[in-house]
Amino acid sequence: MEDLLQFLYLMPVGVVKFCSDGKVEMMNPVASALLLSIKSADTLGDIYSALETIAPDLRERVIQFSGHAGTVIDQQWLRTRAGKQVLVLSLTVNRIKDNVYMAVLSDVTRLAEQEEKLYADRQKFFAIFDHVRDYAIYTITMDGLIEEWNQSLQRYAGWLAADVQGRSMSMFFPLDDPDRPHLDLLLAEAQRIGSTETEGWRLKRDGSRLWANTVVTALPDESGAVRGFVVVSRDLTERKRQEDEMKKLATVDPLTGAYNRRNGHALLAVQFSQRKRNGHPFAVLMLDVDDFKAVNDRFGHAVGDAVLCVLVQICRKALRPVDMVIRWGGEEFLIVLPNTGADEAMSIAERLRVIVAAAEVAASEGTSIRFTISVGVALPAGESPVELLRRSDGALYVAKTGGRNRVILAS
Amino acid sequence: MGENTSMDCNFTDTDLLDRLEAADDPALDTLSFGVVAMSDDGTVTSYNLAESQLSGLTPANVIGRNFFSSVAPCTNNFLVAHRFENEPVLDVIIDYVFTLRIKPVAVRLRLLKQTSRRRMYLAVECR
Repeated sequence: MEDLLQFLYLMPVGVVKFCSDGKVEMMNPVASALLLSIKSADTLGDIYSALETIAPDLRERVIQFSGHAGTVIDQQWLRTRAGKQVLVLSLTVNRIKDNVYMAVLSDVTRLAEQEEKLYADRQKFFAIFDHVRDYAIYTITMDGLIEEWNQSLQRYAGWLAADVQGRSMSMFFPLDDPDRPHLDLLLAEAQRIGSTETEGWRLKRDGSRLWANTVVTALPDESGAVRGFVVVSRDLTERKRQEDEMKKLATVDPLTGAYNRRNGHALLAVQFSQRKRNGHPFAVLMLDVDDFKAVNDRFGHAVGDAVLCVLVQICRKALRPVDMVIRWGGEEFLIVLPNTGADEAMSIAERLRVIVAAAEVAASEGTSIRFTISVGVALPAGESPVELLRRSDGALYVAKTGGRNRVILAS
Repeated sequence: MGENTSMDCNFTDTDLLDRLEAADDPALDTLSFGVVAMSDDGTVTSYNLAESQLSGLTPANVIGRNFFSSVAPCTNNFLVAHRFENEPVLDVIIDYVFTLRIKPVAVRLRLLKQTSRRRMYLAVECR
């Protein structure tokens, strides 16, 4: 009996046994302490007046409860003030039988504070989510499924909640992108080292693309185990465009749009290393506009420039996308033909010569002029790039001295 | 004060602290009101007969334990425990409710403390 008393004295929640008229028959210390913190001591004999300020409808709810036994009130949070401090009590009322009721009271102030803080944090996050423009912020599950849609995804790429919720975030990676990130690897890395970063094309809802930097960060729970990820994706399309522009400026001849000589050396080096690695043959054409100085002298530099542009346009149209046209100097161009043998290189060069000879370039006063090219063709034979270029130059020299408008294969 | 002497004193006596300090356990048991004696950290050192009858707890179950946290948690608040903890000199009488034997009982508490003394005291009397 004494043990039972002690047990009830030390019980950490308040328990009150009362009748339907509110008369308190039993009450443990925590119950009296909690009730005393909101009402004066003389009300403790009557639960209705003790809880009057925070649960004024308690009597009504008890009387109206129609079941013989069961829950009248289930963990209702009641907010009040104890002095200057906010006090939140959780109240549960059960009908045990007939005229026997039990109220369970506990102090949930701390819990309520945490919940409020959580709610405030959530609101802050949503404020950020919903109002950033160049970022999308969303969370995904361990498997990469999108958990929560927010305004940022719509502003950023037009996606609506119904489009994305529950789907894999890989839906944003374009299927035909050769550098498409592998979601499993991305998440595995984020889980292993905390976060990972990838930059590339992302699909917008309208099918167009944006270039984005995407950071995936693991979200650990209290025990440190990863439960999901937060994804922050930043739209860098404009930066990417500017970078591409800069890169182009650095690698391209501004007049003709052909690669510049510096880049030509690099492109040639790549061909040499690929040939060394997998034995793929390639060919180079060194070509030069015949009597270019005469064109400039007679029609002016503007027409000379037009001749060079037309030549590059013709090459572009006649050649494959993999072929490279490089402005080597003045009116001299180097063309690199990957995966091309001697016969094919000769016929390509010949075809170019014929098309160029037939093309017209507008000159002064509605007249137009024609021009021709000479071409030296060379294929690598285990030598250095410099040696290959020397041989193609030699072949070009032979074509020039042999009367121009012709193609010569280097020996 | 001799052996088995009954104490002739009242709840409101001005020299109650002096009288309690001088009394031994058998003497405290002769009082008509409850007395809990504690060391300055709240550990119960004496629990008299009247208090034991009010609460239903025997001294053996209480002595050596912290009164505020593990005997009567309903006093672990700013009205009682915090005052014992924070005030060096204490002699106040407050109206209070104890849930003695699981029923709310209106009581009067007298909180007695002086830092130089051997023990501090909580006296309990039903209203």
